Amino acid sequence: MIARPPASDLAGDLAPAPVAPAILLAGVVKRYGAHRALAGVDLQVQRGEKVVICGPSGSGKSTLIRCINALERHDGGRIVVNGIELTGDEGTVQDIRQEVGMVFQHFNLFPHLTALENCMLAPQLNRGLSKAQAEKLAMAHLERVHLADQARKYPARLSGGQQQRVAIARALCMEPRILLFDEPTSALDPEMVKEVLGVIEELAASGVTMVCVTHEMGFARRVADRCVFMDRGEIVEEGGAQDFFDAPKSERLRHFLAQILR
Amino acid sequence: MNALPIDLDLAWESLPALFDGLMVTVFLTVLPLIIGLALAFPICFARMSSRRALALPAETFVVFFRGAPLLILLYLVYYGLGQIEALRNGPFWIVFGSPFGCAIVALSLNHAAYMVEVLRGSLLAVPHGIVEASEALGITRRNIFLWVRMPLALRYGLKAYQNEVVSFVKGTAIVSVVTITDLMAVANSIFEQTYDPFTPILCAAAFYWAFVNLIRVGFTFWGGWLNRHNAEDVAMPGPGRLALARLAGRAKVMP
Repeated sequence: MIARPPASDLAGDLAPAPVAPAILLAGVVKRYGAHRALAGVDLQVQRGEKVVICGPSGSGKSTLIRCINALERHDGGRIVVNGIELTGDEGTVQDIRQEVGMVFQHFNLFPHLTALENCMLAPQLNRGLSKAQAEKLAMAHLERVHLADQARKYPARLSGGQQQRVAIARALCMEPRILLFDEPTSALDPEMVKEVLGVIEELAASGVTMVCVTHEMGFARRVADRCVFMDRGEIVEEGGAQDFFDAPKSERLRHFLAQILR
Repeated sequence: MNALPIDLDLAWESLPALFDGLMVTVFLTVLPLIIGLALAFPICFARMSSRRALALPAETFVVFFRGAPLLILLYLVYYGLGQIEALRNGPFWIVFGSPFGCAIVALSLNHAAYMVEVLRGSLLAVPHGIVEASEALGITRRNIFLWVRMPLALRYGLKAYQNEVVSFVKGTAIVSVVTITDLMAVANSIFEQTYDPFTPILCAAAFYWAFVNLIRVGFTFWGGWLNRHNAEDVAMPGPGRLALARLAGRAKVMP
């Protein structure tokens, strides 16, 4: 087991309204010109639930999770995150981003800051923590991703797997109730995939709400409470990992699984 | 007879006057660099704005002042603006009534126009994903600019900035045409008094060379310090001081 950082309330156990889902998407539409990247998506994620989204390239899965924290603005439908309705208003966007952490395919660490400083920046700027407080928090989370010994290195000196774990620690430092992963292992060399997935699995055990876009089927089976298959901007099928992989109902999912499993 | 084209005695005697000229050149470099840079930021933001009403005037500014030869710009400010009676009687005559004021205005506008483009290029070079990651962390736009975009842009743009500063220093030599006794003008007047063309001009060249290279060395240290995150084998005690020393050509760096 991993030690929980002292200041953390990651479990999302401070629910304002116990019945409200962590994430509610209703008829979400996103257009790029004439192309509909999301064609009316409905999805609910309960508190503490782990949801894996998969689907072919261009199916809208990245767009979907990027809409949740407003990196992409949706053109129609409703998005409610932890009871906050996402509107065009900048205030709601900032509120939601404080609740939602995100990990990207290409890590996107700040190259001019050390691993430790990468983790300290947002808590210092957003929450007004002192340098000492932020450092303590950052060290706790770096420890959690097993990188305390690399804290003072710059990203350029770290392996891809280490960089992605720093990125996870950086997201955790904002103590989000919801974590979004956008293909967190797709840019990694094969031998580094395991260390990153291992960290994510440990996090999953802590009770945080997770939405993860990934094609790592073994990971999905171990972690996901529910798997969602997207194609052409809509959710085609969803279900428990077992049924999802072993007894897919739709032809499109069967075809997709045949493609990726070969 | 002396085989060198330089009269060493004359060179020695000229040093104090040339040094005074250099101080004027330094002054006419530093002040416009500061003013030009300060102007460049808001103009650059306007230039990068998606609003046409902001972007278009900024673009016009850049096209005009980058395109206008510095010498002509200086003439226009110094001789041209003096023709406007309202200006002659107005409060700004303190600036436009003096050759120094005019030179600083012309040089600042020229530098600002170049810096808008340097700044814009550097800001555009910041990877979009890094900005997105900052947004996802809930960092405000202002703080993203201050702590992420600008620090990275500075690193990407430092070489271009150095180029601009170095060529700008040499460009200041034209202020002698509006009666300012900068380094070039001092050298010229010594030439006119002694009919020795080589000694004062070569001495002035040496002064320019020293000034420019001082700037170059400064930039090298600055760049080494900024890019310590890319340094080989970064030694970590203290924020990269050893790496800095290593990068800056194994020079001794005092803490």
